[in-house]
Amino acid sequence: MLVLLFILFAALAIGCALAVVAQRNPLYSAISLIGVFISLACLYVMLAAPFIAAVQVIVYAGAIMVLVVFVIMLLNVEQEEHRRSRMKFLVPAAVVLAAILTAEATFIIYFVEKSPVKPTSSVSDIGLTSSIGGSLFTSYLLPFEITSILLLMAIVGAMTLARRLKETSSGVAVVPGTTVLPLHLLDPTAPLDEPLAVEAYGTDEVAKLLDITDEHDPSKRD
Amino acid sequence: MDSIIDIILKFVAITVAFTVVLLIVAYTVLAERRVLAFIQGRLGPNRVGFGGALQPFADLLKFIFKEDIVPDKSTRFIYFLAPVIATMAALMTMIVYPFGPETQIPLLGSLPLSIARFDVALLYVLGVTSVGVYGIALAGWSSNNKYSLMGGLRSSAQMISYELALGLSLIGVILLAGTLDLQTIVEMQSRWHGAGWFILLQPLGFVIYLIAAIAETNRVPFDLPEAETELVAGFHTEYSAMKFALFFLAEYINMFTVSMLATTLFLGGWNVPFADVIFTRGSFFFGLVSVIGFLFKVIFFLFLYIWLRGTLPRFRFDQLMNFGWKFLLPVALLNIFLTATVLVFFDVI
Repeated sequence: MLVLLFILFAALAIGCALAVVAQRNPLYSAISLIGVFISLACLYVMLAAPFIAAVQVIVYAGAIMVLVVFVIMLLNVEQEEHRRSRMKFLVPAAVVLAAILTAEATFIIYFVEKSPVKPTSSVSDIGLTSSIGGSLFTSYLLPFEITSILLLMAIVGAMTLARRLKETSSGVAVVPGTTVLPLHLLDPTAPLDEPLAVEAYGTDEVAKLLDITDEHDPSKRD
Repeated sequence: MDSIIDIILKFVAITVAFTVVLLIVAYTVLAERRVLAFIQGRLGPNRVGFGGALQPFADLLKFIFKEDIVPDKSTRFIYFLAPVIATMAALMTMIVYPFGPETQIPLLGSLPLSIARFDVALLYVLGVTSVGVYGIALAGWSSNNKYSLMGGLRSSAQMISYELALGLSLIGVILLAGTLDLQTIVEMQSRWHGAGWFILLQPLGFVIYLIAAIAETNRVPFDLPEAETELVAGFHTEYSAMKFALFFLAEYINMFTVSMLATTLFLGGWNVPFADVIFTRGSFFFGLVSVIGFLFKVIFFLFLYIWLRGTLPRFRFDQLMNFGWKFLLPVALLNIFLTATVLVFFDVI
């Protein structure tokens, strides 16, 4: 029974993984990747690690892949064309890497089979939520906290990148969404050391603030 | 042999639970139309059957016989896949809820009135719910229609934003219970003759959950994904016949499951106050009263949904995002902080 389920989900995982690489449409690849994650989660459940399985679905399938799908949708990535000519060196590199991977897997399987220590108990509480939580907050507290600080840094970094203040000259700053300009740039009659800056959301608004009547204003055209 | 009987029993349980839930969902649609009509001073559908009692089946027949239109430039495979994902994700969460306590059933012996019991039931619910986003996002994209795409994106953004507040609002209950297993959580609320509901200890968490759950299911006042006045019908604009019915079904099943989760975590699940005074625990009638109590609480939440739809106007999108990220999320974090602090200093449970 368990073997049948293992074969089912393992085959599903490998099939989806092949589809990720083989699909021409990037969105199909993304969906196949979600399939890989979900079948991996099923395998985790069978390995008595339900917590990891749930986190796998929530974090990878539910959060990260949503972002990937969003990006593909919003950028409207076209179907990948046949690009044989470029990056030809990748083919031999892929062959070599695949050979290394196969060798590694064989090596591991060989030594696991040879090792005298066989897993004894089929029922363990290592994968349960409470035991994972307990060890995360006692013996692995430092790595756990360091990881959380790393994630916090990523968030703060993304925020600062998104709303960076770009310095052009003294007293001038450009913020996305809001344009701040020194007065003398807009009004040549203003003295250069005029400290007053204009904050506005668009050129029309700036013109209105400075009492500049645009001669190309469509409403004043005859 | 035992395992085969077990599988058969589970299969029967799943069939019974799904049938009952789908029936209730069908009648929720009817109730919504009748109650909304009452709120707006109309009559609503009252022609098919007694007082409109057969209307859901008439609607279903109509959905089956309508022409199934597929837009010319749609991405066909994903266009077909999207409603399936939405419905499956909605239905899959149903297996973890305890509908009643362990009950002595004639001929079968003592059985737990739930389908599956496992360690991470709550995380399973959150995980499956988060997969449901794909149904909507992919539907919007594959229809090749700008209104659908806008609706799909809005809906996904909204669901992702409010999923955070939803998950955090549940942590208070998890801290109190010390487990993710829904059945243990319900059994912990059996104190004081079944009146020790967690809403008494987690009122703030309950309110946050309720708001976030309404946003998660894209219902009024958070129904921006299908804001008719702006987006025609949102992500399912191009869907017709049975595929539209699947989205419709998924929405109502989602309403039902978030109501079940609210009942299980905050309103004591199947605990009916003082039912154990009249019936002995574990007896058939105690189980019956518990199941009826559970369904009654869930139906109360469904009525609340309909009531809100008849009462409230719709949020603007920036208001929605500001409310979710700048108000609901910090309040949920505050709730976790307060709960943890109180639990450290006082022995509440």
